[in-house]
Amino acid sequence: EKLRIDVYTAAWEKCLDRIKSIVRALHAPIASEIKHEIHTSYDQPLPGLPYPEIPVIGITDPTSSSTFLDQIAAHTDSFDLEKRDASNTVAFTSHLYPNDCNNVMSAMKALINGFVDRPHLLEKGKGRSGISLAKYDIETLLAWYTAIRDTYDLTEQCKPKLVVLFHDFEQLDPLVIQDIFSISSLYISRLPLVFILALSSPASPSYLHSTYPRSTLALLRFSNYTVPSGTKVLEEVLLRTFFDTNFEPDVIIGPGVLTFIADYYNRHNSSVDAVLNILQLAHLRHFSGEVLTLVVKSTPSSETLSEDTSLPFVEEMLSRLQSFNPSSGRDRSISSIPSLIAATDDARNSMYSRARQMRVGFGIVKLIQDFMTSQGYKGLDWDNSAKGVDIIDVMIGALQGDLRSDVKYLGTMIKKLEISQLGTLFGNLHTFYNALPLYIRSSEEEARMNVILAINAIPPSGDDGVPGVSPLVAANFAGWLVKYINNLLTPLEDEPLWDIWYTGASSFPSPLINPSVRATVVAGLLHPYDFAEPSRKKDEEQTDPALWELPDTSILFHRYLDSGKMLNIYDWFTAFQQELETQRKNLEERALAVRSGQSSPRKRGGKGKIKEKEKPESEEEVDRWQLEIQARFVRALQDLDYLGFLKHTGRKADHVQRVVFDMHD
Amino acid sequence: MESWKFGYEELCDELSTLIANFPPPFIYIYDTACPRITGSTIATLLDRIVSTDPGPSKRIHFAKVNAIACLTARLLYDSILNVLAKWSPDWNDGCPNWSLEGDTQRFNENFDGFIHGLRAVSSHLRDKSKVKGKGKERMKSEADEVRLVIVIECAERLKETLPELLVPLTRLTELTQLDLSVILLSEVRWEAIRPPLGASPDPYFIDLPPLSKEVIVQRLIFNFTPSNDLSAGPYHASLKGLYSHFATVLCDVCYPFVHDPLEIEYIAAARWPGFVQPVLDEHRRFLADEMDLDDPEQAQLEPPAEVVRMRLSRLFNASLSAALEELYPRLTNATDWAAKNKPEPDLLSAQPAEIPRGKDQPGKSSEAAALALPRMSRFILVATFLASTNPGKSDIRMFGRGLDEKKRRRRVRKTTKSGPTKVPQRLLGPVAFPLDRLLAILGALLEENDVETRLLAPEFKIPGEYTDMETSRVAVYSAVMELTSMRLIHRTTPGDRIDGPPSFKCGISYDVALALAKELSIPLNDLMWDPA
Repeated sequence: EKLRIDVYTAAWEKCLDRIKSIVRALHAPIASEIKHEIHTSYDQPLPGLPYPEIPVIGITDPTSSSTFLDQIAAHTDSFDLEKRDASNTVAFTSHLYPNDCNNVMSAMKALINGFVDRPHLLEKGKGRSGISLAKYDIETLLAWYTAIRDTYDLTEQCKPKLVVLFHDFEQLDPLVIQDIFSISSLYISRLPLVFILALSSPASPSYLHSTYPRSTLALLRFSNYTVPSGTKVLEEVLLRTFFDTNFEPDVIIGPGVLTFIADYYNRHNSSVDAVLNILQLAHLRHFSGEVLTLVVKSTPSSETLSEDTSLPFVEEMLSRLQSFNPSSGRDRSISSIPSLIAATDDARNSMYSRARQMRVGFGIVKLIQDFMTSQGYKGLDWDNSAKGVDIIDVMIGALQGDLRSDVKYLGTMIKKLEISQLGTLFGNLHTFYNALPLYIRSSEEEARMNVILAINAIPPSGDDGVPGVSPLVAANFAGWLVKYINNLLTPLEDEPLWDIWYTGASSFPSPLINPSVRATVVAGLLHPYDFAEPSRKKDEEQTDPALWELPDTSILFHRYLDSGKMLNIYDWFTAFQQELETQRKNLEERALAVRSGQSSPRKRGGKGKIKEKEKPESEEEVDRWQLEIQARFVRALQDLDYLGFLKHTGRKADHVQRVVFDMHD
Repeated sequence: MESWKFGYEELCDELSTLIANFPPPFIYIYDTACPRITGSTIATLLDRIVSTDPGPSKRIHFAKVNAIACLTARLLYDSILNVLAKWSPDWNDGCPNWSLEGDTQRFNENFDGFIHGLRAVSSHLRDKSKVKGKGKERMKSEADEVRLVIVIECAERLKETLPELLVPLTRLTELTQLDLSVILLSEVRWEAIRPPLGASPDPYFIDLPPLSKEVIVQRLIFNFTPSNDLSAGPYHASLKGLYSHFATVLCDVCYPFVHDPLEIEYIAAARWPGFVQPVLDEHRRFLADEMDLDDPEQAQLEPPAEVVRMRLSRLFNASLSAALEELYPRLTNATDWAAKNKPEPDLLSAQPAEIPRGKDQPGKSSEAAALALPRMSRFILVATFLASTNPGKSDIRMFGRGLDEKKRRRRVRKTTKSGPTKVPQRLLGPVAFPLDRLLAILGALLEENDVETRLLAPEFKIPGEYTDMETSRVAVYSAVMELTSMRLIHRTTPGDRIDGPPSFKCGISYDVALALAKELSIPLNDLMWDPA
């Protein structure tokens, strides 16, 4: 178990790092643009403007993922956090969160504190708070800024910018922000403030323009940047994580999960964070569901395997291996542990190389497709959003091995290409092969040679004398290519032990990440034990527990479902009481049985005791029992009320209205 | 005459006379058009009065503060006193406010302290001028008197932020017994912010009319500051004639809509570089051709000829109103606009026929690419729009799926025709609706328009069951909350109320809803109770 967690962590971190670096690369151009904008924001004002404006940069990030803002903040803040010397500082950053901005005073205080609170740069002189400037006075900031410039001898040229980062700008009170803007505008000639607004609403209709009055907008010089989002990001992430020849994920994500990711991303939450969540869950599930995933990275040593505790593991492994090659498994005795290890290693190697081949094949198909579209041909119907065939579907197709028709089509397309186009295509293919990492390239050496041969077979350009050559070359090449790609793109399920490294077609359990609230609550009330002890689920699946075995709330809920539109509380209570009576009786019987089975000497005494108890059934005890029932009823009722199953209408005395009806269970 | 005085000659004369002689204790200046300019004009005026050697009588010291920046009384006191004393707090000493030497009295605690502070400042200033006067041997008993002037901009804000200070501020002269005058500058009338019960004395009123067109043009032209740079830039001295013409035309275009000189200046700043660009191009080409001349006189930029001027105005007049349309509501900023609307190089040398007509404004395309939202969020937005515009009673007719589909729509038409003509809800603004109704409409929309795109789920057999599952998923609720945080949906119930469903209002316009519905192929007009 522990080992599997470790393997999981390693695999997931590898995947996560990859995705993070991809996302960072995607954001990098925008981030550097914004950085540039911050630095130059005061350099070239348009001459002739009536008054200086506050440079305001809006960052529209529809997914409101925090990663991008962190990136920006890191860009701007990295200068002043580490260095104790401010002479080269380009910008100081202050963060403003919605919680700080309940009124102008606290907002200004937070804004100023964000700058001023840098004791490593400049110690504040001692002064009595009463007679000195207020903390929320922008004059304080001015004094600090002047002091900073004097201390570090900053010239007029390299004025460090004062960057204010407004987080969750939509959450901020417009009235407060208006005042902040107008106050800042009064000081803008002396304090080089730059405001960055983190917007999550779409760029148009612009939130800023629809919310703030013109008089405020006139103080700003607003420029907007949009963080890349939408399906393009998802495609990029998936392509470069699972279909890039330069990267090998430990676990290959199957079409089932990919489909779910694509759907969830388009339908509910287009943020990279959501994709990360799903992928992580997929990893976790893969590793928790399958015992054998222990060997994803490496096989344990033979000493570990020969221990007694790992015996069931070894057996499982054996049976699985044998099921894959039933004929040969008998002959090659893999009963010994070293040979078992060897077989596993073989399986891992062949699986990974197959996956590599698959990626190479996919890469080639994509390359040819890109080439076709760039040459103005229609190519395959990819990226045709109207028909809904996008690159993700193609990925899924590649994994399932049903791209054959597409590949064939590409082949025919190649046959029809002009000779110059052929040359370019071959050149592209050649660079593709050369760009492959070394270990893949060696295995694809033959194909590379073939491409080079094809390149050589093309007559040098300008030599149009031989008309018959180009179709011939093209046909030969296309024929070879189709076969070759089809070889590369075979389903991964054929490999032995494939399900260790490949999640396959198993779909992603959507309730994990996107449960339906009501269905889950109702299911929880109907089958509470499914939730409480999932480990026991397998054994007890056949026998539904009887009603009296359920918790009180569930009992009450079952009775609730039996009723009409209005529930009479007293009737309900009676039904509940009956059930509790059976419960009590059964529990007593069970206790009796347990006791009798447990120890024979006590048996008599126990029985006697109970009989004794039952016999008198004194008034007092009956009362106490009644009270208990009432108490339990009220508590269960409260639970249901709290969950929102009851509606208190004053229409009928002692009645409540039922609100949940359509039960399909 | 100096440019800052343009249009304000009367004010300047009046104010300087008053200040110099016997200022009323409380002056109220009312200016609707552009208080910002008025404020700076008054500041410059007072500055002049202060800096010119005291002619008639007294030394004048003034402080100008902005009521928005002074959020609290303490800030107001601090800034007035500091400015009067010309004191700038030093960070290294812990930012102390101005105070008398060796005195640690607080002046910002309450109004009483403030009055003491004012007295202290006044005597401090008097002492200072005395010292100065002694040195110059010009000491007179009258000259060492000090007169204080306090100007408060955006005075209308005082009523909101510091209402309790309004009365004492207007009576400051009585309270301090100093030679002092308070000027409130505001864009609302004194009647609107006057404290009740006549607690304040009536001010000396000065009402400023909005500037006339001619004055604005004059100000614009005076603001043309020729650059010292000898190389031909847009603000070259010899282009001034062209600029004055440009300014006149620009004001002709803009004045019917905008009276604020600052705004017109802003537009001018954005348009002028582009306007003059062809002339500069021409000049540069000329220079390149006549490289061998080496005559500095020749290299000077000549004022353009009348023909050029006419061609330029022909070329650019259309873009002036475009600039007004985009820049006045600040849909974009001047710098970006100027960069975007740069004319093609060498426009003057091109034949008129070759010059492309104005480019199409990219207004529509931005609308289409507007909402990069997930599919479910778009459905939710359309559902909020419908819930906010349709009356609640109509839902079952609009969305109920009876046996006969046609019946629904016909009935709708009939009802819309029959009633008395009412203003459609679409124009009255959105109404609030509970979350449940939103989910119900969402379910109806999904059932009609979203079934094909879903993943296969064989476990749902009853019709509508899948939709039911979809609408009650966590992601839907979180999408609603997220859209609320984007202010695309407004929440009308307070967030801390648990009882009952929360209610919302739609935050998108009809156009946006229509665009969204089109993307999702929802027939929005058919689903609206009274369609457009």
